[in-house]
Amino acid sequence: MKLQPPRWADRFLKWYCNPQLLEEIQGDVYELYLRRLTNESEAGARRKFIWDVLRFFRWSNIKRSKTNSYASNNMAMFKNNLKVSLRNLTKNKGYTALNISGLAVGITCFILIVFYVQDELSYDRFHKNADRIYRVKEIFESDGVGERSASLPFPVAEALLNDYPSIVQRAVRLFNFQAPSMAMVNEENEKEFNEPRVFFVDPSFFEVFDYKVLEGDPKSALSGPNSILLTESMALKYFDGEDPIGKFLKFQGQKNLKVTGIMPDAPLNAHFQFDFLISFSTLKSFYDGQYPQSWYWNPCWTYLLLEENRTAESLGSMFPEFVEKYFPDFIKEDVTLELQPLTDIHLLSDLDYEIQPNGNKANIYVFISIAIFVLAIACINFITLSTARASERATEVGMRKALGSRRSQLVKQFLLESLLLTFVSVIVAVILTTVSLPYFNQLAGKSMLFNLWSDPLLLAGLVSMVLFIGILSGFYPAFILSSFRPAKVLKPGQIATKGVNFRKALVVLQFSISIILIISAGTALRQLQLLRNNDTGFQQEHVLMIPVSRSPIARHFKAYKNEVLRDANIVSLTAVEEIIGAKHQVGNYRFEGNDESKPFPRLFVRHDFIETMGIELMAGRNYSEDFLTDDSLALLVNEQLVKQQGWPSNEAAIGKKFRNGVNGRQIIGVVKDFNFVSKHHPIRPLVLDLNSHDRAFDLFIKYMAVRITGQNVTGSVNKLEKTWKKYMPERPFEYFFLADDLKGLYESEEKLSRVTVIFSGFAIFVACLGLFGLATFTAGQRKKEISIRKVLGGSVSHIVWLLSRNFSRLVIIAFVIACPLAYWLLNLWLSNFAYKIDIKPDLFVVAGVLAMLVALVTVSYQSIKAAFTNPATVLKNE
Amino acid sequence: MKGTYLGELEELILLTVGALVENAYGVAVMDEIERQTDRRLNISAVHSVLKRLESKGLVKSEMGGATNERGGRRKRFFKLTIQGKKALEDSMQVRSSLYQQIPGISFNFSTV
Repeated sequence: MKLQPPRWADRFLKWYCNPQLLEEIQGDVYELYLRRLTNESEAGARRKFIWDVLRFFRWSNIKRSKTNSYASNNMAMFKNNLKVSLRNLTKNKGYTALNISGLAVGITCFILIVFYVQDELSYDRFHKNADRIYRVKEIFESDGVGERSASLPFPVAEALLNDYPSIVQRAVRLFNFQAPSMAMVNEENEKEFNEPRVFFVDPSFFEVFDYKVLEGDPKSALSGPNSILLTESMALKYFDGEDPIGKFLKFQGQKNLKVTGIMPDAPLNAHFQFDFLISFSTLKSFYDGQYPQSWYWNPCWTYLLLEENRTAESLGSMFPEFVEKYFPDFIKEDVTLELQPLTDIHLLSDLDYEIQPNGNKANIYVFISIAIFVLAIACINFITLSTARASERATEVGMRKALGSRRSQLVKQFLLESLLLTFVSVIVAVILTTVSLPYFNQLAGKSMLFNLWSDPLLLAGLVSMVLFIGILSGFYPAFILSSFRPAKVLKPGQIATKGVNFRKALVVLQFSISIILIISAGTALRQLQLLRNNDTGFQQEHVLMIPVSRSPIARHFKAYKNEVLRDANIVSLTAVEEIIGAKHQVGNYRFEGNDESKPFPRLFVRHDFIETMGIELMAGRNYSEDFLTDDSLALLVNEQLVKQQGWPSNEAAIGKKFRNGVNGRQIIGVVKDFNFVSKHHPIRPLVLDLNSHDRAFDLFIKYMAVRITGQNVTGSVNKLEKTWKKYMPERPFEYFFLADDLKGLYESEEKLSRVTVIFSGFAIFVACLGLFGLATFTAGQRKKEISIRKVLGGSVSHIVWLLSRNFSRLVIIAFVIACPLAYWLLNLWLSNFAYKIDIKPDLFVVAGVLAMLVALVTVSYQSIKAAFTNPATVLKNE
Repeated sequence: MKGTYLGELEELILLTVGALVENAYGVAVMDEIERQTDRRLNISAVHSVLKRLESKGLVKSEMGGATNERGGRRKRFFKLTIQGKKALEDSMQVRSSLYQQIPGISFNFSTV
């Protein structure tokens, strides 16, 4: 017979039961158990014991907290703590304001940047199959020269679907003639515009992507030829609020497209936006009744929806075989196909022919670091200020301890104080964020909304932020403050100082961060300047670009050119394949001495190209209208190509034979290297190929470039437009300045430097707030010392020096720490650029001096005030 | 007044506490009720009623001395307070006065 009742039940009882009730309860159940053991069966007794234990498991018997019996007292203590905290905060209004403003600014910066980062990371994630959608890219390079293309040849999508039906579920192509814009006309309403965001898409578009259709049937809207879907804002733009369904838009002045659907405006957090979607089958009529069959020309952005459970690798491993099977012999060796996940495109993809410029992952890291830095500086403020002022609370702590308060209770009290402060700061920060968001949107080129109440995640984020920052910054002060020994602090005349070195370390940390930020901001600005400045090797100013893709200008080009050149302010006119300095295409050429043809960056041009663009000719001659054979037999190349081919000099390159389609062509001239793409890339070999076919305007020639004197810009533009309308009245005339357009190349760097400059400003501001508070405190603490020094003949300058000395030392230490760190970080950042500034020491000196100056100015206000105080007012109280 | 109302079980246990005089602790109360009324209660129910009565101020309690029973665990003994007694008297009075008003009973009572 077991005298012991079931052990687990007994343990369970001990575990849940309120210790004050345990003895009587346990006693009663034991008594019953023992009695039942004698009267009934053992199993019955055990069963009933368990039953009793379970029945005792009720709210009134459960242990809630160790100090349950003081439950009411707990609340009272909380009230008392709250009261003391509030009193303390309102008593020192200055410090409270410093703390709150510092924290609020820090938190605002943090919230803004988190918003930005969140937005950047959300790109393309709204598709429900986002993780199964991939874009195929084509790397077409030989010895690092060629292109890394985001777009593919026409037949790839279909071939992939046919060859790998078990992996590829759907494929969709996007195509836009590689044209910067296309003409769209509503003849009824006399609306005509050049539209940049027009795409021809396969009917599977809506199966791959999750774009909505407001009116019309997504299944059939794209199935027939000559159908077009437009976004709401385009419907408004072209149809003035009439129902556009079933109406017609004239495309490129030659084709009527029937509107079959209306879509909401394309979401901004996608790597491409569209205004018009045209059914892919419409294209057939542009290419003699079928899709282009070339495996060389690669204009189609191709997206695949993979079958569930099929990995990208399973398809990727097939690609070499696929290339071997389909691609033409002369490029097979140089072509590699790869898949890139849809959600990676915005931040990680940096290919040639992206649909739109993408974001930049490095910027995200930089932004996050800045946000954390600013927030850290603000938290440090709180820590230094509260520990510095610990002595003021020492008596209170001593008294509380003498009256029996436990250390944990004191820690709780001080944590409550910091939580309270953080709470207020977060509220202020929310207000600041609301006010500053529009400006930040402008700065960052976003349209983010701050809607506190509609976003529970945001609210939760803010609450956890209060907890996190409150506890993080309150922990050390609470620890310090609660450590005072009552016997020591309650004795009169004792000044409690604790954590002085820690405080100094924190100030050093703050200033190190600030100095790093200043240096980074300076470097980012200089780098931007370097990228932006005009030494691209061609003239950007006073060059007008006119999109002419697929326009009837071909027939009128000569006449147009002759007519506008009669204007004294129009210097020269040419036509070119891409925006010079931004983009290029690629062509295969086989130069003398090479066994096979290789891809080279190429720009098709018209006569007078190098005059219009102000490019220097280094050797040989320019294309000339006097040589009719130039068109088919001649070529201009750049110096880099000469170097790459290993020809001894520019002159030696002249007359070199090459083959591209026709035999017997030769190089007639070498131009000086110029940056035909952005300065993110070094200058690569380039060929400038004259193309004077009329058909060139269908594909190869996309812009006219016009150089004007700049004397009478409006007059010149008017002349260009009037002449345009004379030859092509049905085509809208549009133009832009080359220099303006090229600025957009460095948008990402510009954004980065703007954000760094502004936020490092905030960082320093917040750091100075802390320093100011600390200086005020030190000056206050040393009031008597200063007064006595003055009485004994200390000069004002001596006293100012005395008070500023310590702080200056800290800033110098911070500078010494910051320099190597900044150097290392910036080198890391700059290594991404082909053209980069040298990190020069002057920037470091400037940053150091700036930080020192700001610190001294902040401190000196207090020092000077202390030094000028009349000693009598301070000392009379003794 | 809320809280002064006595439930049926409360009243029963209060009576038992009074009847047991010096020896009213959980198990004893439970046993006594079973013996007198044949009503089986779970010990936890007795405990919670006793606790409720104590919080209403109708009984008071103290821990007894250590004994050799039940592993040396002490018992909590309950005693009627003045209010407790008064509450019992009040409810007896209400009962008997109501009982008197029942016609059949008072008629029988007077004629026999």
